[in-house]
Amino acid sequence: MSARRLGRPEVLLPTAAAGLTVTAFALLPAYTDAGLSSFDVYNTFQIFARLGLLALALGLTMIAGEFDLSVVGTYALGGMLTVQAGQEHYAYGLLAAVAAGAAIGLVQGGLIAGLKLPSMPVTLATYIALLGLTSALSGGLTKTYSNAAVTLWVDRTVLTYFSPRSLITLGLFVLAAVVLSLTRWGRELRAIGGDRRASRVAGVRVDRLLVGTFVASGVLSALGGSLLSFSLGSANPDPGVQPLIVAAAAALLGGVSLTGGRGNPLGLLGGIMAVALLTEIVTVAALPAYVTQLFFAGLLGIIVVIDAPDLHSALVRQRTRLRAGTSRPSPAGAQPGSQT
Amino acid sequence: MNALSTPARLDAPASPRGRQRSRADVVINVIVVLAVLAAIVVGLSTHRFATVANAKAIITSASLVGIAALGLTLITIGGSAVSLAIAPTVAAVGMMFLSAQSLGLVPALAIALLCGVVITGVQGAVVGYAAANPVVLTIAASFAITGLAIGISGGASVAPTGSGYDHLNATPGGVALSVYVLIVLAVAVEWTLRRTGFGRSLYLIGANRPAARVAGLPVGRTTAVAWLGAGALFAVTAAFTAAFNTSANVNLGGTLTFDAIAAVLAGGTSIAGGRGSALRTLAGAVLIAGVSDILLLRGYSTGVQIMVKGLIVLFVVVIVHLRTKGSRA
Repeated sequence: MSARRLGRPEVLLPTAAAGLTVTAFALLPAYTDAGLSSFDVYNTFQIFARLGLLALALGLTMIAGEFDLSVVGTYALGGMLTVQAGQEHYAYGLLAAVAAGAAIGLVQGGLIAGLKLPSMPVTLATYIALLGLTSALSGGLTKTYSNAAVTLWVDRTVLTYFSPRSLITLGLFVLAAVVLSLTRWGRELRAIGGDRRASRVAGVRVDRLLVGTFVASGVLSALGGSLLSFSLGSANPDPGVQPLIVAAAAALLGGVSLTGGRGNPLGLLGGIMAVALLTEIVTVAALPAYVTQLFFAGLLGIIVVIDAPDLHSALVRQRTRLRAGTSRPSPAGAQPGSQT
Repeated sequence: MNALSTPARLDAPASPRGRQRSRADVVINVIVVLAVLAAIVVGLSTHRFATVANAKAIITSASLVGIAALGLTLITIGGSAVSLAIAPTVAAVGMMFLSAQSLGLVPALAIALLCGVVITGVQGAVVGYAAANPVVLTIAASFAITGLAIGISGGASVAPTGSGYDHLNATPGGVALSVYVLIVLAVAVEWTLRRTGFGRSLYLIGANRPAARVAGLPVGRTTAVAWLGAGALFAVTAAFTAAFNTSANVNLGGTLTFDAIAAVLAGGTSIAGGRGSALRTLAGAVLIAGVSDILLLRGYSTGVQIMVKGLIVLFVVVIVHLRTKGSRA
């Protein structure tokens, strides 16, 4: 039973990814001349804090069978609003970012659930519009945040390895995990991602749940942007496509499937930690930065090929043909195959 | 297309549900007409918009995105959604094109085309034969292409090794060469889609992959060929972009990926596949360039231009979705 549970992709992938990278990280001194210090662990969590909420936001919509490309737009807007509205008090900035994130999620979720639009073109359009809005708000310039006390506070060392920023991010992952495993939302989220029509027939309030998921995604990405702005002491109107791509890689490593219906927040945590560790390993080992990209490319390539349905069915066909060839005399031989 | 929608319209008034549908259709059509009228009025009332020089500026700025968007149209119609690796492909091919200039313009172009076709064709083969998810695959490919390009170039900009590339910046008849190329390619792609067996199978595969497979169509090969064509078109964009910038680095593609997707979607091609055309994409690219131009002439910032581009795409996506739903019911 436990072996079978471990074999499921939503458990196997993040466990393997996190396990491999932790091992590679711990063995770093063995194959490079760089020693490891507690600062490296702290730094890993800082990288995690930078992209964690983005991966969580994207991952939640992917579990529901949607794909929210707009997360990076909301991330940029959240960061910019935090800086521009939060000059007097950080809470105003935070509030503005969260409200904007929720409003964006509400509009997108409403369109996608209400009109049954596919999420990819809608969120792509929103992504472009949000980047434009952020750029218009800032005049295309990077804005600095003058409240240095906040900047110092979010990144100060807590318990040797953490900062308030990484602890907040971790806390939100735990919160998402607890909410999704203790309430029926977790099951319903996977249900609407797996088979939307069946879950609607079974009584899941699909539309409401979809809107909720997009609101959660908007709020989480806006918060991620806020925390980044506090930490950098500035906001950049265009974060580029890199954060989106890294967040998608983290979500896929976290055992979420692009077809939906699979995954959980703890898996996502494993996925993004693997990404953060990998980035830190490359930094500590002083490898050129593009090595990380090649590594992610290889990893994603393997995931996507393993996941490919036609390849899978071709392999199954091949296997059943072989088995049918060897055990044609006894019809019972086909039985075990058809049961699994 | 017409033959498909006519029977639905004929039995539509038979039921009250159908009448409701057609009324919704009328409302949608009125909204579209009003939007087009508003755009025309705003355009004509904008100082210096309705001039020949400005028309040239619009079509020139639409041409580079347009050529790449034509390639993406092939991918989208075939049901493989979108490629998120357009900008890295264009950057890598552009670097290759400039560094091959010492061989002369034609060999450099051939090398660029070959690179684009190989890079994109490999992705297409995986998508076509294994039905791999195109979005994730192209994300992986964009990492791989950028990583390799940085690794090989050392992250530096590539300077041209010859001057043959300058022929691509020619302006015969006062219009940029890329505009002529865009129009010729749009007609060629449209003809391929409408008049060849390949084009028709591509629409069928995009509309319903399992059915196309059952019907015995070569699903894997057709998809792979569509991506090969897309790769060639990306390479053409790359050559023009690199020639225009006279140097190329890994950021050469810029926001091209999303600009191309926006042009395809603004033209009204459905991301689900099986619908759309090259001429629609051409219209989408010109529409976005035209609206950006109006905003620029009226003195709005780049940010506002980008925002309006996003809102146009959103508007068209919603309208196209409502219309197709209406004609299907």
